[in-house]
Amino acid sequence: MWFTVNIYRRLIAVQLKAQLQYRAAFLLEIAAAAITLFMFFGALALVFHRFGQLGGWSLAEVAFLWGLVELAFGLMDLTFSGFDPGDFGQRVRKGSFDQILLRPLSPTLQLLGADFPVRRLGRIIQGGVILWIALALLDLTWTPLKLAYLPLVLVSQIGFFGGLFIIGATITFWTVESIEAINIFTYGGSELIAYPMHIYPAGLRRFFTYIIPAAFLNYYPALFLLDKPDPFHLPAWTPCLTPVAGFGLLGLALLFWRFGIRYYQSTGT
Amino acid sequence: MSIIKVTNLQKYFKVAKHQRGLWGSLRSLITREYEPVRAVDGISFEIQPGELIGYLGPNGAGKSTTIKILTGLLVPSGGEVLVNGYVPWRERRRYVARIGAVFGQRTTLWWDLPVIESLDLLKHIYQIPAEQYRRNLAEFRELLQLDAFLNTPVRSLSLGQRMRADICAALLHNPDLLFLDEPTIGLDVVAKERIRQFIRHINQERGTTVILTTHDLSDVAKLCRRVMIIDRGQLLFDGRLGALQHRFGGRRELVVDLADDYPHAGVDGARIAHRDGQRVTYQFEPGHITASELIGRISARYRILDLAVREPDIEATIRRIYEERLLEKTGPMLGSNGYR
Amino acid sequence: MHLFWAITQRSFQRHLTYRAATVAGLVTNLFFGLLRAAVLIALYNARPEVAGITVQEAITYTGLTQAIITYISIFGWYDLMQSVYDGDVAVDLLKPMNYFAFWLAQDVGRAVINLLLRGLTIMLIYALIFNLTWPTAPVQWLALVSALALALLVSFAWRFLVNLAAFWTPNARGIGRFAFGITWVLSGFYMPLRYFPDWFVTLCQLTPFPAMVNTVVEIYLGLLTGPALLHALLQQVLWLAILIIAGHLVLRAGLQRLVIQGG
Repeated sequence: MWFTVNIYRRLIAVQLKAQLQYRAAFLLEIAAAAITLFMFFGALALVFHRFGQLGGWSLAEVAFLWGLVELAFGLMDLTFSGFDPGDFGQRVRKGSFDQILLRPLSPTLQLLGADFPVRRLGRIIQGGVILWIALALLDLTWTPLKLAYLPLVLVSQIGFFGGLFIIGATITFWTVESIEAINIFTYGGSELIAYPMHIYPAGLRRFFTYIIPAAFLNYYPALFLLDKPDPFHLPAWTPCLTPVAGFGLLGLALLFWRFGIRYYQSTGT
Repeated sequence: MSIIKVTNLQKYFKVAKHQRGLWGSLRSLITREYEPVRAVDGISFEIQPGELIGYLGPNGAGKSTTIKILTGLLVPSGGEVLVNGYVPWRERRRYVARIGAVFGQRTTLWWDLPVIESLDLLKHIYQIPAEQYRRNLAEFRELLQLDAFLNTPVRSLSLGQRMRADICAALLHNPDLLFLDEPTIGLDVVAKERIRQFIRHINQERGTTVILTTHDLSDVAKLCRRVMIIDRGQLLFDGRLGALQHRFGGRRELVVDLADDYPHAGVDGARIAHRDGQRVTYQFEPGHITASELIGRISARYRILDLAVREPDIEATIRRIYEERLLEKTGPMLGSNGYR
Repeated sequence: MHLFWAITQRSFQRHLTYRAATVAGLVTNLFFGLLRAAVLIALYNARPEVAGITVQEAITYTGLTQAIITYISIFGWYDLMQSVYDGDVAVDLLKPMNYFAFWLAQDVGRAVINLLLRGLTIMLIYALIFNLTWPTAPVQWLALVSALALALLVSFAWRFLVNLAAFWTPNARGIGRFAFGITWVLSGFYMPLRYFPDWFVTLCQLTPFPAMVNTVVEIYLGLLTGPALLHALLQQVLWLAILIIAGHLVLRAGLQRLVIQGG
């Protein structure tokens, strides 16, 4: 265990060192990313003055959903970037996944340490700022339970999206080419749950509730934290499903990942 | 006790048939037809500790499939492999801690990091004791002349520098076995020679078993006593390099510069392999005629300005073996035939 | 000109072969289109019309913009800067053809195939799901075709300009991400510009971005007629001219730099 932590720390440290060689360019890029991403929310806020609400939710309430999922996705992207399906597909195609199998270290650990793109800080900053604005505007009644629940939601989301990345990466063992359609679940999923689930057509909503349990990661936690009633009348303990959905998906993804490596070892490329 | 024991190794792939045209590729989305490809089709061999082996074969012969199986990257379809006491793919992580591998085209080093940082990371990954790391690094720095670029990021290295760094990285943990795949590809003569010397040194001084796959047959000629040749998934030759040359490299060549443009430069006992104006290359079998006899016959009919006798080189021999598929005609030469 | 069409055709054929990618991209475009439509419907929340745009037109807008994503490469385009980094630029500059035209020819081939394969398919599937608005008058169709063509040219000239950053910095990709990111919002791709406050729209009109998307959208939805329509088309032409001139000036400076540094 200590060995694993130590190696992970070292892998990340060298990544940071390599990236920080170009400090100025780097800070500019983080700032540019934060500004670009913030523009999207800014645009939504600007058009809000004509509409006043979105599916019955106020701008601050939507900002809460938006900020939380952007923050979580940014943090996931920072840590799970080695599994980014596009990059990973290229790794498999070029045969450099073999180099990973040639080292006496878990491939999962090596990929977690393979990339730590600090420029994703732009997204993290953007999400954090929007979440902070939302919390400032919303004037929530905080209880100790809610205070403990919010960080749990955040890590559950990180686990959830990390799991989706791993599944997307694993699929490239079969398809070799990365499939753009996996973006529907990763980037699409994160965009989808940035808005309240009740605005979607029933089929889409059910798919992202019961097949891909994305609704449990942002919408239901938000209902609980913002003290809003559930229009679909799921049981009161539904918010407890957040970590189950997040870490359950991550667990399944890791099982699939192992299976994928076994498949890779039986075919090569 | 052999370090590698391979028995009846097989690896079959299913390869999707390529459908032609628009309709074909639409159809292949739904139903795919597969063709089995026998990449490795029942090969067996043993390798003793401390050997330096050349593993040869034309492209697509099954060479890299074998190496992938031996390094634990691929699981075979059948047969047994025992390397260093491990079944490579079954206990991969523990096994790869005891081997080193360099695949010439790809680097195992971190692309954006200075070489020394990569080596330092490997020290931790392989859990190399500090003293051993220090000693090895000092030795390799000198022998491979790494000092000039130890602090350069890998992406800025020349091919030769990168190869030296990669070989160093593969040996820091004192592996019992070293796999080298095309270690001299794309290098100039001086760089090639430096790497060959190092490989020989490691093999002789440390007793590291080395398996070398290469297209450059001068690598093999200079380094390996034993060669294995694989083609179409089968081991066609396994034995001393000398035996191979003796059997197939029979023909010698006599290059003659004639004084005139003779219309026919033919002579009994030799055939003209090549003619370029007044320069004629004769090929002859040493068993049938000696060089001096041949020179005598030629000078009796034509006026000679200059001449030279060429010995058959290993490269020409092996190229002939591939091209004319000589081993298939004569049947495989395996096992102890001429070896040891 | 002959060379231009030859390159266009080859590029067209090359992109025609990426069939699996086209299908995957189509599914993704449709998914996001559906999502955007749901957000707009939720914003309307049963109101019939906002800023002169009906819900039906808003839905049509999401379909139309999703349909032209690949046509005008709204998510960005990095081929030219990559060729500078790979060193292919030296060979391309030796071709007996204007460098701008050389890349434009390829882009036209790519754009047309994407408009036909992806664009039309998306509009057709959208028409099966939703009740869409269609242009009616022949004049409107004519204006739409011109606006679409001009939108591609303006978008290309902008992308060309952004890619030239590669002559100065090894991090042109970061600049591209930023430049294409703001294009997304300011062009009216993210939300119709009419929803925005007036000051914001005025600001946007000072940039070339509305000429890439918003003009096409407003003509398609019939929001522009008569002099306003003509004015919008003229604005596209104007921005095209400005961007082409800017592109050539920057290219010349970039090439000088390349020569001085020995590339």
